[in-house]
Amino acid sequence: MDRQFIQRGVTRISMKKFLVWIMPWIVILMIGVYAAFLCLYQGLNQTNMDNRFAFGLWIYLDLTVIALGAGAFFTGFLLYILKRKELKAVINSAVVIGFICYSGAVGVLMVDVGQPIRSWFTFWHPNINSMLTEVTFCFTCYLIVLAIEYVPVILKNRKIKQFSSMLVFEHELHKLIVVFAGVGTFLSFFHQGSLGGLYGVLVGRPFAFRPALGIWPTTFFLFILSAAAVGPSFILLTTWIVSKISGKQLVKQEIMQSLGKISGNLLIFYVLLKTVDTIVWINSTSPSLGFSAATFYRQEEFGTWIMFTEIVLCGLVPALILLNNKLRSRTGWLITASVMACSGIVLNRFVMTIQTLALPTLPFDQFLSYTPSWQEVATFLAVIAYGVLVYSFSYRYLTLFPQERELQSM
Amino acid sequence: MFPWVYGFAWTTGNVIFLGIFFFIVAIIGTTLVVSIFRTVRAYKLHDIEAFRWEVDFHDLPPQLRTCRHEFTGEFKQRSCDNGFDCRSCATQNKLIRHHSVNTDAIELPIHAYGFTIPTDRLYHRGHTWVQGDSFGIYTIGLDDFATRLIGTFDGFVFPEIGSQVQMNGNAWIVKKGGMDLRILSPLDGEVVATNDGSDGWYLKIRPTTAKVDTKHLLREHEVAVWFQREFERLQHRLSDSKIGYTLADGGIPVQDFVKAYPERNWDAILGDVFLEA
Repeated sequence: MDRQFIQRGVTRISMKKFLVWIMPWIVILMIGVYAAFLCLYQGLNQTNMDNRFAFGLWIYLDLTVIALGAGAFFTGFLLYILKRKELKAVINSAVVIGFICYSGAVGVLMVDVGQPIRSWFTFWHPNINSMLTEVTFCFTCYLIVLAIEYVPVILKNRKIKQFSSMLVFEHELHKLIVVFAGVGTFLSFFHQGSLGGLYGVLVGRPFAFRPALGIWPTTFFLFILSAAAVGPSFILLTTWIVSKISGKQLVKQEIMQSLGKISGNLLIFYVLLKTVDTIVWINSTSPSLGFSAATFYRQEEFGTWIMFTEIVLCGLVPALILLNNKLRSRTGWLITASVMACSGIVLNRFVMTIQTLALPTLPFDQFLSYTPSWQEVATFLAVIAYGVLVYSFSYRYLTLFPQERELQSM
Repeated sequence: MFPWVYGFAWTTGNVIFLGIFFFIVAIIGTTLVVSIFRTVRAYKLHDIEAFRWEVDFHDLPPQLRTCRHEFTGEFKQRSCDNGFDCRSCATQNKLIRHHSVNTDAIELPIHAYGFTIPTDRLYHRGHTWVQGDSFGIYTIGLDDFATRLIGTFDGFVFPEIGSQVQMNGNAWIVKKGGMDLRILSPLDGEVVATNDGSDGWYLKIRPTTAKVDTKHLLREHEVAVWFQREFERLQHRLSDSKIGYTLADGGIPVQDFVKAYPERNWDAILGDVFLEA
């Protein structure tokens, strides 16, 4: 019944099957919206966060999706600025994923801040000494950029492009997309960095505090690099998942390998810098603040295994796999390495957010444990459901993978 | 944020931070306004049909944009980037000068692969043919490949007599099985007559210019190879994917492929054949 809206030359499941697929996600989204409403209406007492544990599941989610969504800016940068033309095959999907990640993060922040009606305060009365101000400004601008980049993808819909004005606007907007790609790269660079810098400046938290390079702590640079490294891996992974669910080849194998190689190159560089940063922290930064680094790993929950897993198992190992031509050419290894790389960054954001706050830093402090309330979990899951829904509709009605038609006709 | 807002201070940090912010906002806003302005200008000045073809052609898979010089054996592999408009192709003359056309290996068939290819007309890549007469009127029809592919039609939407059609623009619409197939015009001109195809033709046009440039249309020695490729692609699309490639065992193409293979994805196949993205 919606055939006229679906890209020519590709096949999609029937409307009935599609409705069956989206229904559970709509239910999850609805429950999450109700939970968010409770938080906004009754206050943040609906959560298990408090003044001591002020960053919880939501901020962790924000940091994670922002890192994974970096594929949008980095793929755009490689395609439009560095002219890596082969990435045209995944740029639309990357833009949609970026839009989902950033809009989801902004949505959760609205609930987390608890006063969305006063969100304009941060712009009207900016505290330029706060990393969060930079994050807020860059987030907002970049979300607008992503929305603009999403517009040509929507206007290319088979039905919409029949309207001449839409077709011309899409064409003219696309011609200037390089400007948005450049602006997006600039904004992403700073807000990814500022998110990392946010932890690096916490002098009262020796576990997270890092020395400054110029005006920024080293976490500023590590967050940028880690996001850029894992972005292509996440694009690769989502493409593979969509391909498996739909049962279709969406991009050529060499594109997947190219994404893997880009990710591998950046990841090995990141692991190198992260290792140097960790060594400096263990031997200099932490002791200078009166703490032996070993004290932070005495808690059973957060032993040294977590550092090993983050840097070696989910950093060095996937980087080496992705840099090996033979292993990279095998889908199993490629996907395994991508999953490991993404997991490494997810773990890194967990460590920086949750572990930092859980560890005691004063003599009378206790190790804090925090379990999110059902409202927090439901809101978290609602963002996932929102992402799945937006992506599902986009995949069904828009051209996310331009090579799909060619590959299906072969 | 602004000097008149409570809490604003003329500090270096404030000026740099807000300066960068306003600069970014200005770039985003200006780019958006420029694209809207250019849209309005293009919409007013541009030939929408040509514009649509340009966009459609750009979105076609590479295997559908094969250069005609592949058909003649001059090149093993070459894609067209010029919307199949050889008239304005900068390399066209150079190619002809540097690569002699290999016509020896190609007979000039009337019948090839079961299709009839009359040699008294020129062919457009959207599967239309065009034939001029002594009065300067050009008749346009569907070639045998397209005719057999579509088979019986459900209806047509023709342009009005006296209206203009443009090369690679919409010539007429064929209705078939709930699909609207856009047939591309091989030439620019004014429509002087329409027909339902019962006499083998659909449209008669009077070209816009006195001297008609037909360099972009295929000649018979190219058409034979082009038909072969189109037919091979069609066979592949119609074949059972579980079996894969099979050796052709002769015979002639059926009169109505759509009817013969109703379960196939005709929306995709016909889109490829009639160059619609």
